[in-house]
Amino acid sequence: MPTHTPSFPDLLFEDAARLRRWEAQLMGHLDCAGYRELHPSLVMRNPVNPSTVRFFDGDQLVALRWDFTEALARTLVRRFQDPPRRISYAGPVFRRPANSWDPVERLEVGCEHIQTDPDQRTEADRELARLLMAVPALLGLEGCLLHIGHAALLRRPLEAEHIPLELGQEIARVLDRRAIHRAAELLDGHPAKDRLLAHAEILLSGPNGPGSLDDLARGPYGGLLVAEAEQLGRVLSVLTAQLPKGLTLRLDLGDLRGLGYYSGPTLRLWAPGAQRELAAGGRYDGLYPEMGRPWYAAGFCVRLTTLLELGDNDQGEK
Amino acid sequence: MKPLLIALPKGRLEEELLPRLQGSAFELDPKALKSRKLRIPMADPMLAAVLLKGADLPRYVAGGVAALGIVGSDILDESPVDLMELSDLNFGVCRLSLCAPDHTTLEQLRRKPHLRIATKFLGATGRWLRQEGITAELVPLQSSVELAPVLGLADAIVDLVQSGKTLLAHHLVELTTLGKASARLVACRGMFLSEPDRIGPMARALTSLLRVP
Repeated sequence: MPTHTPSFPDLLFEDAARLRRWEAQLMGHLDCAGYRELHPSLVMRNPVNPSTVRFFDGDQLVALRWDFTEALARTLVRRFQDPPRRISYAGPVFRRPANSWDPVERLEVGCEHIQTDPDQRTEADRELARLLMAVPALLGLEGCLLHIGHAALLRRPLEAEHIPLELGQEIARVLDRRAIHRAAELLDGHPAKDRLLAHAEILLSGPNGPGSLDDLARGPYGGLLVAEAEQLGRVLSVLTAQLPKGLTLRLDLGDLRGLGYYSGPTLRLWAPGAQRELAAGGRYDGLYPEMGRPWYAAGFCVRLTTLLELGDNDQGEK
Repeated sequence: MKPLLIALPKGRLEEELLPRLQGSAFELDPKALKSRKLRIPMADPMLAAVLLKGADLPRYVAGGVAALGIVGSDILDESPVDLMELSDLNFGVCRLSLCAPDHTTLEQLRRKPHLRIATKFLGATGRWLRQEGITAELVPLQSSVELAPVLGLADAIVDLVQSGKTLLAHHLVELTTLGKASARLVACRGMFLSEPDRIGPMARALTSLLRVP
């Protein structure tokens, strides 16, 4: 059973100082790019997600802030007719992790870019990627990897094959574990089994650079995913040209986390030896329309808790 | 660079696994294997193994202590840890089955007002019961599960069946199969994604060495 301290870590002097220093560096970085801080409440109402830390405030069930993006979206929808374009944030989120020993309280710094015109999306994605690419150098990390994926690469074939939502989620879950043999069991007897498994083989062939896109084009859903492949190709070529020294860029077509949430390109930053990603983000155009606003959005967050763990393992700050 | 640690299972899968590693880069040092050493060098000096109880193994890999591991899918399905499951190695194959004393039928079990099922596979059994709409008391046991119906602790058991000889010896019969279990190659998510050039080739080499077609 987890004990309280790792789930809700106490930061003693040095760690607290490092946290404040990183927060200041990252918030300064975002501020220079025109991102203004918004600090949503630590308490959120209507928690439907069972992984949140919930409690009763009087007779109302509330939860500690489980996600900055959702907290910010609720605030923006309530307070603004036209959204601010660039927002930054810093603070903790509380969410039960996949591994029982991982911390529930996680410290993050991040940013959101909101657009009202769909034509602004490509430039916003590039801006966010450039900002994220500068993070390792800012924090003194070397040998980091930036993985680029795309949420539609699995979702669109599943939709095209009329895979029921629940089965689709289960397929995404096992493929996220790279367990293609489990996907084969789930699809047993389905007429699209062979096509979907051939596609999954391409997605899971490993983070191996631009060659993955050629495989994707030759695969069973190459025609369906032309726009996504072109988008990834463009992103890859733009970012490769601007890649800072010491950072490696890779396509990871098998990045299937947050499949029901992300709608476009996804970014994950890994440091060598880290057990969790250092930063993650992407495009999530479905969030604001669900709340009644025709806005588009993308963002990323840097997980300072992972950075602290890296420091503990003497693999972090140089 | 530290040698890459691979977690190997003790027990049922160990007997089938170790001979398969012989003559390869993954062969375990025989002297260290006979000693009480916990960390066993492999033929490739950049590799080392640790032999662990199956139930502990997923945690060692998920926690990043070992980069790769080999573990039964029966254990993996009971471990709520975030791992990459890279391949079904297709050895150590057995069935996870509901078994009861001779002449008992599944219908008789379904009609029992208080059905007791002994097992160490609580997750898989719970999922099957929910899927079948059966209510039962799960009796958690760690070993010699087949004794439970013989001694009256439970009406039935859910356990791994390979040859069926243990069932026969205890006058038990298989009523239905809940699933198949086999050895799986697992990897630490963080290491697999953050060090793909190091972990990926090792994972592919292990799969090609061990996977039974």
